[in-house]
Amino acid sequence: MRRLTLLLLFLTISSLKAQDQYSMGMQKAMELWSEQKIVEASNMFERIATAEMDNWLPYYYVAMVNTTASFGEKDEQKLKMQLKKAKEYIDNAKNISPDNAEILVQEAMINTAWMAFDGATYGMTLSGKNVQLYQKAAELAPNNPRVVFGKAEWDMGTARYFGKDTTPYCKDIERALQLFATFKPETEFHPNWGKERAEQIAEECKS
Amino acid sequence: MKNQITFSLLFLMACVSSAQLTVNGIVTDKSNVPVVGANVYLEGTYDGSSTDDNGKFSFETSETGTQTLIISMLSYEPHYEIGDVSYLQNLNIRLLEAVNSLTGVTLTAGTFEAGDNSKVSVLKPLDIVTTAGAAGDFVAALQTLPGTSTVNEDGRLFVRGGDAGETQVFIDGLRVFQPFNATANNIPTRGRFSPFLFKGITFSTGGYSAEYGQALSSVLLLNTTDVPDQEKTDISIMSVGGGIGHTEIWGDESLSFNTQYINLAPYESLIPSNQGIRWNSPYESISGEAVFRSKGEKGIFKLYTGFNHADLDIEQENINFEEFVRFELTNNNLYFNSSYKHFFANDWTLTSGASLSWDTNEIGLFENTIDIKETGSHLKLKLKKTFSNRFNLQFGTELFNIDFEETFRTPDGMQFKSAYDDQLLAGFVESDVFFSNKFAMKLGARVDNTSVLNQFNFSPRVSLAYQSSENGQFSFAYGDFYQNPQSNILRYDQNLNVEKTSHYILNYQYVANGKTFRAEAYHKAYDGLVKYNTEMPQFDSQFNNLGNGYASGLDIFWRDNKSIKDFDYWASYSYLNTKRDFRNFRERATPNFAPKHNISIVTKKWVNKLRSQIGLSYSYVSGRPYDNPNTAEFLAEKTKAFNNLSFNWAYLIDQQKILYFSVNNVLGFNNVNNYQYANVPNVDGVFERQTIRPAADSFFFVGFFWTISKDKKSNQLDNL
Repeated sequence: MRRLTLLLLFLTISSLKAQDQYSMGMQKAMELWSEQKIVEASNMFERIATAEMDNWLPYYYVAMVNTTASFGEKDEQKLKMQLKKAKEYIDNAKNISPDNAEILVQEAMINTAWMAFDGATYGMTLSGKNVQLYQKAAELAPNNPRVVFGKAEWDMGTARYFGKDTTPYCKDIERALQLFATFKPETEFHPNWGKERAEQIAEECKS
Repeated sequence: MKNQITFSLLFLMACVSSAQLTVNGIVTDKSNVPVVGANVYLEGTYDGSSTDDNGKFSFETSETGTQTLIISMLSYEPHYEIGDVSYLQNLNIRLLEAVNSLTGVTLTAGTFEAGDNSKVSVLKPLDIVTTAGAAGDFVAALQTLPGTSTVNEDGRLFVRGGDAGETQVFIDGLRVFQPFNATANNIPTRGRFSPFLFKGITFSTGGYSAEYGQALSSVLLLNTTDVPDQEKTDISIMSVGGGIGHTEIWGDESLSFNTQYINLAPYESLIPSNQGIRWNSPYESISGEAVFRSKGEKGIFKLYTGFNHADLDIEQENINFEEFVRFELTNNNLYFNSSYKHFFANDWTLTSGASLSWDTNEIGLFENTIDIKETGSHLKLKLKKTFSNRFNLQFGTELFNIDFEETFRTPDGMQFKSAYDDQLLAGFVESDVFFSNKFAMKLGARVDNTSVLNQFNFSPRVSLAYQSSENGQFSFAYGDFYQNPQSNILRYDQNLNVEKTSHYILNYQYVANGKTFRAEAYHKAYDGLVKYNTEMPQFDSQFNNLGNGYASGLDIFWRDNKSIKDFDYWASYSYLNTKRDFRNFRERATPNFAPKHNISIVTKKWVNKLRSQIGLSYSYVSGRPYDNPNTAEFLAEKTKAFNNLSFNWAYLIDQQKILYFSVNNVLGFNNVNNYQYANVPNVDGVFERQTIRPAADSFFFVGFFWTISKDKKSNQLDNL
């Protein structure tokens, strides 16, 4: 009996320990990221990803850290390698968690980064892909604020490119804002970004 | 109780404090420069850190026993240290540079690509279709690249002193037997395929891979799209006809088709082409293409099929006849191409495929009729193993079968038949070796055995590339290439040998910041070219393989799409020095299809205010040789230079409707293609001549393109 208790205790402690390590690790990585220590943050998420093979979140964040860092990156080689890495990790996340709208939105972000870098080369092949990604994400999670916002921002960008009016999409931004207001992430590490940017765009809509 | 406490204590110790060990060391590259920001960690644990500004790392771990330490960093090969944790101290780790397709050296000698890998691509996907003067014909867009000669009245690809028959076209690695529409003499043809079914185009002007054979000069490789992006319907209404296309997707399967009806009659009745010709019934065709794709977990299957039915009836001026000469043509072409690619777990890839074509031409010339039937098939099997990103190996085998038959009938019932049958069996092996990011080699060989000539040939191919600076690289390529004589000869004589060329290519390429510069010098040696002793090859001609020749030249390409906002341009210059003794030549001379200088300038400007893309292309071709029988010299005179300025304008009415307008030869240059001399001299002993000019100097095109799709965004800009 005692042995069994001990065994149980041991199992609980070690799983608590793992849980704890995961939270600590994720927290630390988020901190590094917020301090703009891009490489360290990406490395940390990468380490967590290799230790937590069944959890899509660290993979998702490796992709996200590298994608956001590449917007405005001037060094062409660095940018290409970052985006290649982001794609590799988002593909891994997709394998762990298929049909996940958050992952599809992130994948679309990677494509957007390629197009922002060189529209003439990547626009033709990737814009169609993004349309599909947002469509599928909207089918999977029609009330996810990032899906609604991501799609609206993408539509606005396309309209702008073709010299069209962007105001019809402002109501989608408004809707995204309402969804952001009530959105509760599953855990503290689940994606919970985008609200500030949506507010910013909503401001632009009003002006 | 005591026991229990001891146990708990032990347990806690093991669990929490368990003798922390330090793992530390330094990471450098091969020249001892510290690597900053490398990720260093024990596999499967949370223990690790990033290297600091001095390449140093240090972290504590409670792991014990044998562990794997991983050091990873972008653009370096990952490094593994396996050992007991207690030994993982004061490590001195040297990372090897990863061989990287994005920044490293690439094997480019002789090759142009259109695609989105910007390191090797000189053209972007859109360029194929937005080049002024190309009018949606991707072959015409390729003619703006150096190494090609513009032969205005033909429309096919003439590469580096080779004639059009020396270029072969492949779809998904399988031969296309009749890549061009059938046409009459002096009326330029177009490629049969619509560009929008293809995701990548590789155009090699020499020194190409051992995977391809039976082409003395050049190969054009087209790859169909793997997975279409979305379902849509395309409708086009043009001044020369109309078309409809649709893409349907079901999960991993998809089908795209498009069908087109072309009739030049309305255009001809408005703006008749009348320089030396009269249309009885202008070119009319109905054509369709379909691609079915099925993507599985481990493989992808594609089936491409195309058909084309075309008719024309024309009368052409001929110096040897008082009246215009009538030429009627009906062409039917059906083509299948299916391929399957399978990815095995251990980096083996298997590609298998088959293509099959039936082509018939019914020709009416004077009172005679000529029936031509050609059936071609190609079977191929290829295996590729990627051992690492530094080394891969591929090998395969293929079988071609060609069955050709021509029946010539005179009005009085006489009938002449000529035919041949060929089975060609070939094998190839090739390997890419990247010694470093700076130095790479492609080494291959090919064997061909052709039944019609009963001959066996071995062709070595090698290509080297050396990166001389961050953005510049040198390449060298050498190869031997064999090709059977064309069907117009083989059908009369099968006791001939194959024709041969050797290519020597030296290339320099500089790519940086939206600018591309390429210069390529080459030499080609021709041997065993077929000669005959009549005006045209015919049943009683005497043939031999005693012909030979050479072509040397310099090709220069420059493109810049960054320096001026929304403005993109490229310029090509080709210098060609070639002489050959072949066909019925009485001595070595420069053939009519090989002008010395070719210049092309292509510009494109996106005007946001007008929601328009405007393009302007200019091409200059120096005079082409022709033979004047009134002089003693052979092929010694030259036509005047060829000039063409073309213009196009794509206007986006809205996101899915485009109005497109283009004019070929805006300035109406009066170009001369050639001169035709009379077969016999006139009473004064002079051979009279007539000028062969394009049927019309300029050509106008207006089209309206409408796309219907769920997202309401895509359009056919990429199809124009």
